Amino acid sequence: MRGRLLGVIASFGLLVGVVVVYFIFILEEAPPGVAASVHGTTAQLTLQTDASYGHAPYPDWVTYEARDPSGHWQHSTILKIPAGTRYVHVTVYEYDTATGLRNPFFAYVRGTVGGVIQLNGRPMNYVDAASPAHTFTAPDLGLNVPLPGIDSSAKNQCAAAPCRTSEAHNTISFTFKTPKPGNYRFQCIVPCALGFLYGFGGPMQTIGYMDGMIEVA
Amino acid sequence: MESASLPVSRPRSDSPPLGSLLGFNVVSATLLAILAYYFGHKIGAVIGHHTVWNTSSDQDDDAVLIGMGFAILGWIAGLGFFNYPIGRIFGRPVALHEGNEGGAWRYLRLCTDHKVVALQYLVATLFFFFIAGLNAMFIRAELTSVHGTLFPAGNYLTLVGLHGTMMLMMMSAGVIGPLGNYLVPILIGTRRMAFPRIESLTMWLTVLAGFVLLSATLLGGFPTGWTGYAPLADEARSGIDAYLVSFGLIGISLVLVGLNIIVTVMTQRAPGMTWNRLPIVVWGFVTTSILAVLSAPVLAAALVMTISDRTIDSTLFVSSSGGSPLLWDELFWFFGHPEVYILALPGFGIVLEILPVFARKPLWGYKLAISGLFGVALMSFMVWQHHLFMSGINANLRPFYMFSTELISIPTGFIFLNGMGTMWRAKIRFTVPMLFCMAFFFNFLFGGLSGVFLSDVPADTLLHGSFFVMAHFHYTIMGGLVFALLGGIYYWLPKMTGLKLNEALAKAHFWTMFIFFNLTFFPLFVAGMLGMPRRVSSYNAALHNLNVFVSAMAFFLGLSMLLFLWNLVYSLVFKREPAEQNPWDSKGLEWQLPSPVPAYNFERIPTITSDPYGYGEPGAVPVADFGGVPAGASA
Ligand code: HEM
Ligand SMILES: [Cu+2]
Repeated sequence: MRGRLLGVIASFGLLVGVVVVYFIFILEEAPPGVAASVHGTTAQLTLQTDASYGHAPYPDWVTYEARDPSGHWQHSTILKIPAGTRYVHVTVYEYDTATGLRNPFFAYVRGTVGGVIQLNGRPMNYVDAASPAHTFTAPDLGLNVPLPGIDSSAKNQCAAAPCRTSEAHNTISFTFKTPKPGNYRFQCIVPCALGFLYGFGGPMQTIGYMDGMIEVA
Repeated sequence: MESASLPVSRPRSDSPPLGSLLGFNVVSATLLAILAYYFGHKIGAVIGHHTVWNTSSDQDDDAVLIGMGFAILGWIAGLGFFNYPIGRIFGRPVALHEGNEGGAWRYLRLCTDHKVVALQYLVATLFFFFIAGLNAMFIRAELTSVHGTLFPAGNYLTLVGLHGTMMLMMMSAGVIGPLGNYLVPILIGTRRMAFPRIESLTMWLTVLAGFVLLSATLLGGFPTGWTGYAPLADEARSGIDAYLVSFGLIGISLVLVGLNIIVTVMTQRAPGMTWNRLPIVVWGFVTTSILAVLSAPVLAAALVMTISDRTIDSTLFVSSSGGSPLLWDELFWFFGHPEVYILALPGFGIVLEILPVFARKPLWGYKLAISGLFGVALMSFMVWQHHLFMSGINANLRPFYMFSTELISIPTGFIFLNGMGTMWRAKIRFTVPMLFCMAFFFNFLFGGLSGVFLSDVPADTLLHGSFFVMAHFHYTIMGGLVFALLGGIYYWLPKMTGLKLNEALAKAHFWTMFIFFNLTFFPLFVAGMLGMPRRVSSYNAALHNLNVFVSAMAFFLGLSMLLFLWNLVYSLVFKREPAEQNPWDSKGLEWQLPSPVPAYNFERIPTITSDPYGYGEPGAVPVADFGGVPAGASA
């Protein structure tokens, strides 16, 4: 009787354990967080946007990548900012061609320091609505940065992530104030999910590709 | 008295012989299904290379869906459902029964004894029910912080979708499956269902559906919740294929269960079982079956349409190509609204069946109750657009659906009248099943009243998509149906298993569940009115304390369910105290039989002489005449 009792409790515990671990394991699965590198009171984020991730078994979708403090590119959109910093400075290397915006509202730069971005070194506060390949948009921060695409006839286009700066790209940089601690969603607004209905499936809904979090802590 | 002529042989041994592992059972079915999946996946991958959607989006839906199709066939074949039809083709004789021998081993196989199928159903649906409940715990854990930090945002959606879909799938099967299959033949005085093999098939399809839905976690999850709206479902990753296939399996299973019950009740009733002696719980199952048979095919069609959108680019739900996403909404809710009554009606039946036993009074207004059940069933097909008030339907349609929705509270009100009339001035025995039935009325009242609010278009404009809706349907489904189901389980399980459940644990379970259920869900009406949206892992910081409180209460609710589980294990596995034949002193036909009911139910088919509600009536006759053979004399 004792033995049977223990047996049932043990096997039941095991079953529950397996189920719990399974769910935690599967549902917690997320790309690794990538920490910004800190210079004084400024956090530096370095990102790239690529037309194709290009490594099986992962889907071959358009994607962001982020550079970790040791200089390696990580396939992630979970960006960690220390709460002690005052500004976040972002540099994006954009390697994809233009898709264009459906809503020209997002062609305007919003929420950056000075209301501008540097596009290949030139200050801009809006771009041609047909030019973005992607946007870096965080609604809770009132932040919107259009990322113009490269010329579709450019010679040395990048085929698979991570791309190198020797390949055709635009460099976009901007600064925004470090928000108060919390998690902030960011999202590309350009319907860039090739092959998906209205361009909105797959990478557009998947963290690590065109959807991500800015985690301030 | 040994009855040699009976068609069913008795269980021989209790431990399965090892050799049977290789036969037709759940083990070989699982292996076959997995093998078939890989085989189908390979074929699908080849075909998928030629369809636009799959190549341009880097999706493998063709492979996944064809794999799942093969897996279903493998599962059914592995369980041996093709043996009989194939045998018949080759001239094997007609067999009335299949797989009824072999002790405990019967439970892992195709078995045509309706009492075995009922217990299989009970264990299977409870299993998935607990998994869905565990998901609810994860949801509440995530909501303890303002910016959900436990799971990534996309996975929260998968979690909500798994919880909601699993609950609704298992609950649609979870009452009519165990209690319907168990009670219908016994209560109408017959030995089996009209289609016993199909009965077993529905049960095994339900099990498969549960596992297929869980496989969504391996396929990238799905973002649509339980409603699968287009165009989100068209553009989602392959996890949605698991949703489509599993819900389809449940749909098919529901239609078959429904047909089986309708035909059984129409054709197999014992002599004297006139329509107005039919126990009210059987009426509950009959009306539920009518709903299932009429509504589930519409769901199946809509699911197939989404599958064709995702594989052969049919664009049925894509407006830019001439399709309509609203079409999905219409089809889904044309099924979806009757579905919520598929959940409610058996609950109505159960409580009205149990109340008279413990009120020791006849059921008040038997015919009113039947008209209530039919009224709800009929009208549930005329209200579905109230889910679409905010979806861009023709504004002129709104008043009609608002009105029809408010009208449906009238037949629902009948059921309340029956309940109150039965309990009026009664000397109530507060047993555990009775407590659950009374709590049903309490909770369902809140669910129903908040539903009247939501049917009001101006109110719905504000509350649509909020936690108010969430609280509303948990009050009806969990507060209503789940309480009724638990009442039914505490009431009938001693008959089904022949074993007593522990009373103290059961009481503790009832009170903790009742209290923590209300403490969990009542505050969520408030959260909803303050604007907290459904299906979003983050919310306004001002609602933080409220959510922490709700989560804490939800965890206690979860613990309360563990008391129930512990009671089942403790009483049925360890204590194993035999139940009396009629512990509740009920007049119901099932209680005149021994516990557990013998394999053949009745030694001789009884003649029904009365309805089972003649409590406290001086001239009341027994429900049935067993033809001189004392019921179950040989058992
Ligand atoms: C321990 C008890 C339960 C708790 C704590 C619970 C909690 C929740 C929560 C918090 C949500 C909403 C999540 C969101 O929209 O962000 C939800 C959704 C839902 N729940 Fe439950 N639930 C419980 C039991 C049940 C039961 C018994 C059923 C039905 C039989 C059920 C059916 C549903 C459905 C259909 C949804 C909607 C899913 C969707 O939006 O697609 N729940 N539950
Ligand atoms: Cu994009």
